[in-house]
Amino acid sequence: MSANPFHLAWFGAGGFGVKSWNKTWSGRGGRDWASPQLWVDIAQALERARFDYIIIEDSSYVPDAYGSNSKAYLSSATATPKMDPTVLAPIMSHLTSRIGIVPTLSVTEYHPYMLARKINTLDHMSNGRTGWNIVTSSSHRAAQNYGKDLLEEHDLRYDIADEFFDVSCRLWESWDADAVTLDADHGVWADYEKVHTIDFEGKFFKVRGPLNAPQSPQGRPVFTQAGGSARGKQFAARTANSVISGVEGGPAAMKRFRDDIRAQATGYGRDPDDVKVLFMASPVVGETDEEAQAKRARQVAFAEAHPELGLLHLSRHSGIDFAQFPLDEPIPDTAKTNGHQQMLAQAIGKTPREFLRKSLSTMEFVGSPDTVAAKMEEVMAEVGGDGFLIANFDLNRRYVSEIADGLVPALQRRGLTRTEYTHSRFRDNLLEF
Amino acid sequence: MSARPFHLGWFYSKGFGPKAWKHQWAGPKSAVARFTKPDTAVELARAMERACFDYFMIEDSSNVPYTYQGSHHAYLRHSVDTPKLDPTVLAPYLIAATEKLGIVVTCSTTEYHPFMLARKMNTLDHVSEGRIGWNVVTGSNDGGAQNYGRDKQYPHDERYDRADEFLEVAHGLWAGWEPDALVLDLEKGVFADGDKVHPLHHEGRYYRSRGPLSAPRSPQGSPVICQAGGSARGQAFAGRWAETIIASASTPERMKAYRDNVRATAAAHGRDPDQIKILFLVSPTVDETRERAEDRYRRSLEIDDNEVEYQLASLSRQSGIDFSQFPMDEPLPDTLVSNGHQSMVAQWQGRVLADVIRGNPLNSGSNAFVGTADDVAAHMDEVMQEVGGDGFLLVNSYFSRRYVTEVCDGLVPELQRRGLTRTAYEHDHLRDNLMAF
Repeated sequence: MSANPFHLAWFGAGGFGVKSWNKTWSGRGGRDWASPQLWVDIAQALERARFDYIIIEDSSYVPDAYGSNSKAYLSSATATPKMDPTVLAPIMSHLTSRIGIVPTLSVTEYHPYMLARKINTLDHMSNGRTGWNIVTSSSHRAAQNYGKDLLEEHDLRYDIADEFFDVSCRLWESWDADAVTLDADHGVWADYEKVHTIDFEGKFFKVRGPLNAPQSPQGRPVFTQAGGSARGKQFAARTANSVISGVEGGPAAMKRFRDDIRAQATGYGRDPDDVKVLFMASPVVGETDEEAQAKRARQVAFAEAHPELGLLHLSRHSGIDFAQFPLDEPIPDTAKTNGHQQMLAQAIGKTPREFLRKSLSTMEFVGSPDTVAAKMEEVMAEVGGDGFLIANFDLNRRYVSEIADGLVPALQRRGLTRTEYTHSRFRDNLLEF
Repeated sequence: MSARPFHLGWFYSKGFGPKAWKHQWAGPKSAVARFTKPDTAVELARAMERACFDYFMIEDSSNVPYTYQGSHHAYLRHSVDTPKLDPTVLAPYLIAATEKLGIVVTCSTTEYHPFMLARKMNTLDHVSEGRIGWNVVTGSNDGGAQNYGRDKQYPHDERYDRADEFLEVAHGLWAGWEPDALVLDLEKGVFADGDKVHPLHHEGRYYRSRGPLSAPRSPQGSPVICQAGGSARGQAFAGRWAETIIASASTPERMKAYRDNVRATAAAHGRDPDQIKILFLVSPTVDETRERAEDRYRRSLEIDDNEVEYQLASLSRQSGIDFSQFPMDEPLPDTLVSNGHQSMVAQWQGRVLADVIRGNPLNSGSNAFVGTADDVAAHMDEVMQEVGGDGFLLVNSYFSRRYVTEVCDGLVPELQRRGLTRTAYEHDHLRDNLMAF
């Protein structure tokens, strides 16, 4: 084996809503958007391919950043509708047995007690396969649905997240692992000396505790995080078990990103091997290299013919109305955002059209399963680890099958990804190598 | 058919936590230890669907209580209302295991923000294809508030003022997408019509929310609203919002008086009283012979020391009053007042504490349903005729699998034979089934 084995995960971009719906392989994707069945099918396919986890992305508003109204978003079903991922996660857990299920929940929308309780219940019911994708929200519109005028300033959101994380962990550990005695003969259900209030009083939260349920199989869920800004990386290095990265610039930039996260994690007294950095990828796989390249060319042609579809995403993520910029003029460096800092930094100086071209994936993996597997191996050997997070906005069952039943077997033949789950709990599998 | 048909629900008392554990027929310890798994609830839901129940209501509260003796000791020792896992996580499992049964989830208006609650209910209703209800509670124990950053619950009546506004916001959000906002024009590539999706811009006394909800109107539009408040303010709230009410009264006369009052309040709010189904809590004891059932019932009333402490801890939690301060054999003070469950505490004033503990109104007087399936069905028929409607809500905090089959496969077929409960679901949505008669 030329490289160390690496991890695979899936990013459920667009959340619990409309996936592919009016394209070649959409099937009934438009009509069945509210059914959990597509997600169940995906999770089962990924489990067959021995993926570590699947993230259910989320945000909780109807965007209107592009053109200052929601018409284009609703018309194209871009980033809306999205239903609640905590309702979907139990159904996916129920119908799988090994893969990690990771709903996205925002620290600026939840109270820590409610979130800790939901995650604890999910972890119990999934037998230790629950993760939490920690986000801080990045849109004023989400804040306004929750009674605020504007979202908190970027770095302050991470201060809130830090405290939120600390409160939650204390709640998850407020019952000792052996607190439940279940002594039917003496009528003693639990040992009260092993259940502890937390009496937390911080800058943002006040929580008495304990949680009203016993410690779950994993205790704490697996934490995933995607912050790419300096403050976001600091938070991720402190808390995350898996950092998801869309960093641009090829393997050299990926390596820098990973090294930085690992160094910062060490600075927090953590073992850097406990933080798995997974890089976003949208492989295009065909029966032959030529066929895959032709497919990729068709995708690019479609994207170039419909630049507004890409700009809808860009506007929503950055909080900037890209409808105001001419498609082929460089974005001025005076543009500012209180949303995704990293994304805006990457866009400045490029024209919207140029930026769109690069935004689909951090790097292109195009070819037959063997070709793509070789390329992934090469990239991972250069970066040092820890794996890839597959994402595809036009998500249909055919694409899932191409990855799970085409690409992954090629990776497995090279000894690059696991062929069996070693453990029953999500964290144990993630940290195995 | 001697009476109009009535409805059946099941009150999943003590929420998503342990059921029978030290009790008879609890099963092997390995099964009892799976109290954090969906097994018991899923099996109950399937049995209920087989028996054509209207709905499964998951009770909830969100703290380890410590009212009794100022400690959580008794609560954990006897498992008194703790642990309880999150009912919104259990609900999707029940949805996945059933096709027609309504699933009613308890969520507190003082713990959720209206947008988050409205969003979860909308998703649950989509995923269940129109079978969701929301049991609206306002929180009653200070320990619950303390987990959410506050020292105490809001005063009783203010909780309902807040809840009124909460329901206004939630219904506003549920109505934000017009029923035909989804276009789904595959040829033109138009998913939804932005002109038919409306922000709410709610700015009230307690809540603000811009909207719209991030997903289209769900099959029922809004969840079926369920409520249990027995106080005057609680009844006013229920009269305005509730579509089904969980009620408890010790005699048919009191049941009738309660029902008549709620229906009058609803009419005063301009509602059709038949759009509120009042279900009364019952814990029937059904066995093969009347003697065996009566013997079982008698034994269920025998209370050992553990049970006394259990009951005292339970009363303390519900009322917020530490009952360890009162002697067992003396009347309770007339000044006993609760910020929690007010109507319940008012009934205890001046009564001897030991009698309060023994006289569980669910299971005493003319409301003790004890006997063969035939006896109990006849008794339920008789009571419903006197009360006027609308049905019963089964409750048994520590039920066993055996109890479930006694009700669903013993009692219910007898009710069906008498034409008292449905033998098939007519509709797909919970609300349509609930309002069918």
